[in-house]
Amino acid sequence: MNRFRPLAIGAALAFLAGSTLAASPTSPAELQAAWLAEARQSNPALRAFSAERGRSFFSTAHGGDWSCASCHTNNPGQGGAHAVTRKLIEPLSPAANPRRFSDVAKVDKWFGRNCKDVLGRACTPEEKGDLLAYLLTVKP
Amino acid sequence: MKTLQSLSLATLLLAGGAWAGDHRYALSPTYAAECGSCHVAYPPALMDAAGWKVTLQQLERHFGSDASLEPQAQREIASLLQAQASTRSVHEGKGAAPRLTTTAWFQRKHRPEELHGYPLPAVPAGSKATPMAQCQACHRRAEQGDFGEGSLKPVSGRR
Ligand code: HEC
Ligand code: HEC
Ligand code: HEC
Repeated sequence: MNRFRPLAIGAALAFLAGSTLAASPTSPAELQAAWLAEARQSNPALRAFSAERGRSFFSTAHGGDWSCASCHTNNPGQGGAHAVTRKLIEPLSPAANPRRFSDVAKVDKWFGRNCKDVLGRACTPEEKGDLLAYLLTVKP
Repeated sequence: MKTLQSLSLATLLLAGGAWAGDHRYALSPTYAAECGSCHVAYPPALMDAAGWKVTLQQLERHFGSDASLEPQAQREIASLLQAQASTRSVHEGKGAAPRLTTTAWFQRKHRPEELHGYPLPAVPAGSKATPMAQCQACHRRAEQGDFGEGSLKPVSGRR
């Protein structure tokens, strides 16, 4: 049930503010808890996310041209640049950039887009949890 | 009659931001956030309404990236682009994936002899990226919609 709470709060806030850009606040810990609950539905034996799996997920290509590191660089504690447009991208690690993983709608939107571009499918809750576990170990 | 006409024309153009004589374009916060995350938020007034319409119809497959929007943001941006789009034929966005860098106006303003020594922006090796789409490489306040003369980066040998 955990998983629906941040989403519901986010939706309510977005509705109240009446704007597409309204924040739907969350935190890395809250997201991790929601993804863990979700991942356990298909894998009840899962105890915790793995930063090591997250690191390799982040830096390997999954059959296409890009990995997550193509735009967010091999050091997500530092800024990157879009692989096509060279637009600068702020660091992805929450330790380096506290605005990261603080807005459910933004997190969902970019996982949706970037997983499709890199993997050709949505990321699983386990992949998202592993990835965030890894990012949380990266200091600026 | 004549004055009335040109007056209302001026109001219309100003309101829509369709003609920014000084090349400073006001960008709505929604547009700047949603269409300015992967690249410069391209000024709505530099392409025509038909071009923007085609762009918005295929955001899931947008130049090799998924740029799809929530329905509400999609509606907001669609109406904003229709209202602020250019009505001049030199800004016609052509083809299946319209670009403002291929409009007649853009190409004329950025002919090699107009570039005054600005080098083409670098693109990653082996990529199909369009160098001129990186407005920020030459216009340092491009992200704020400022393409005025003073926004050009200093480059050696220019003026
Ligand atoms: C083609 C370039 C590109 C690739 C490849 C890419 N990203 Fe991103 N990513 C972006 C851009 C652009 C943003 C949004 C701009 C910003 O917020 O700085 C973003 C934002 C995000 C966010 C939003 C975080 C927040 O809370 O602000 C997450 C999460 C994310 N990316 C994860 C990933 C993951 C996971 C992968 C690999 C599967 C990946 N990205 C691959 C370009 C990319
Ligand atoms: C997920 C990343 C992403 C988002 C979000 C995004 N774009 Fe793009 N866009 C791209 C890429 C990649 C290109 C190709 C750049 C190149 O060819 O070098 C591009 C190119 C364009 C071009 C053509 C540029 C030219 O050469 O004239 C236009 C116009 C455009 N985008 C409009 C938009 C609009 C409008 C939005 C918001 C609804 C948007 N984009 C959001 C990634 C994105
Ligand atoms: C390679 C460098 C370069 C890039 C990239 C570039 N421009 Fe320019 N642009 C220039 C220069 C130089 C001028 C000034 C031309 C002059 O003064 O004659 C200019 C002029 C302009 C003007 C003013 C035209 C006028 O009538 O004075 C606009 C608007 C503009 N650019 C928009 C853009 C946009 C939008 C992009 C990205 C899609 C872009 N430019 C990309 C170099 C560049």
